[in-house]
Amino acid sequence: MKAAPVFEAGNHRWWILYDQEERRVIDSNVYIVESNGQSVLLDPGGFEIFPQVLAALAEVIQPSSVRGAFVSHQDPDIASSLPLWNTCYRHMEWHIPALWESFIRHYGALEAKFSSIPDEGGAMLVGGRKLEFIPAHYLHASANFHVYDAEAKVFFSGDVGAALLQPGHSVWVGGEGPESSKAFDEHIQHAKYFHQRWMPSNAAKKEWIDRVRQLDIAFLCPQHGAIYAGDNVHRFLNWFDGLTVGTALTH
Amino acid sequence: MDIQRIMRIMDASYRTCRTIEYALHEIDRRALNAMVLVKRHGNKLAGYGVVAQAFREQAAHLKEAAAPLQHSTAPLVRAHMHILQRRRNAELFCRIAENARCNARCADFVRQSEGSRQRGIAAEDADAVVILRELVQTVARLQEGIAEQEYVVTNGRIEAALSERSGAPLMRVSHEMGVAVATVRDAIWEYRSELEGVLHESSTGI
Repeated sequence: MKAAPVFEAGNHRWWILYDQEERRVIDSNVYIVESNGQSVLLDPGGFEIFPQVLAALAEVIQPSSVRGAFVSHQDPDIASSLPLWNTCYRHMEWHIPALWESFIRHYGALEAKFSSIPDEGGAMLVGGRKLEFIPAHYLHASANFHVYDAEAKVFFSGDVGAALLQPGHSVWVGGEGPESSKAFDEHIQHAKYFHQRWMPSNAAKKEWIDRVRQLDIAFLCPQHGAIYAGDNVHRFLNWFDGLTVGTALTH
Repeated sequence: MDIQRIMRIMDASYRTCRTIEYALHEIDRRALNAMVLVKRHGNKLAGYGVVAQAFREQAAHLKEAAAPLQHSTAPLVRAHMHILQRRRNAELFCRIAENARCNARCADFVRQSEGSRQRGIAAEDADAVVILRELVQTVARLQEGIAEQEYVVTNGRIEAALSERSGAPLMRVSHEMGVAVATVRDAIWEYRSELEGVLHESSTGI
């Protein structure tokens, strides 16, 4: 797995761990937020990719700086690594949607320290900096949250914005070049089916878009695929707004 | 193998790489300053100019030698985390075995699969030891480079003493170089001790 910086300002950083080697499980991104010597993981990943994730993490942050993790919803590609992380980090705090707590405990580590996120959302502090939990229910799980860092203008969007890309893909939509609409159009073809098939509710989508449009976002970071930066953030919101979801099986 | 020990290795590796990176950058910066100082004084300090140049070259070599250090840790972390995964599975089977004590057919199945799980863990353990040995060798090569750098520090001190009358603060420059080199030496030594501790544990099956 590779590691790359997403945002950096002094001791405040966002990292992405991406392009996993194991291809038999869905390719997933893991994000790390680092602030004042403390770190949290966002959607730390599945059981099978855990060794790669931890090895990549150790290359970019002080491993002992990890204090906790955020889990957007209950899926195995998000949280089935929980018992392994908990063996390595006994004091880790897990920020988990309240609705999924007892489901996620099925992955193991009954003794893990959970902090429930109520349906209306909430916040956590990392090294004194605030990360907000933004409700994204039914996108796709019935209890689902995203994370917003207002200072960095980074928005972790979980499965929203996800694309199924080939191995060796870039961190950014459109690669390292400028954010062109052509590159966006090309990329979004790999995101279309994912959103139509996994996102069940047009009403939930509309509500989420209205909420997210109020935020100042420079980077929209999905858990699968590549990051939308600058103009591509607005291109994505417009595209998602116009997409009818929950229709992949409709003929 | 104590998983917390591996976590300490990961931390030590990260810390060592950052310390080396910073100290080598400092050595290079100070050597460059020394070369400027030497130039200002003309031929009188030519001897120290040679030393300063050697400092820069050694720092560049060390930087090159230290570059794979962090990457070399990744396979070790991966190997141990694979072992952790297998152990996790083994624990689950142990629980099944406990619950199935009165069910003879199920207990037999669990017992048979236990052997193959243990063999899998032993094979992964052996792989991890090989990786660890390679890592210790990489660190040993770095230590050789540091020894050469310390030799240059000594030469620098001699040259500085010989040029004392020039008025250029070469003794101070040499002292600072020595401190920077000692920082790298101590960081690597500490890292090697940590690695050898794990290697000893692994070899003796602790």
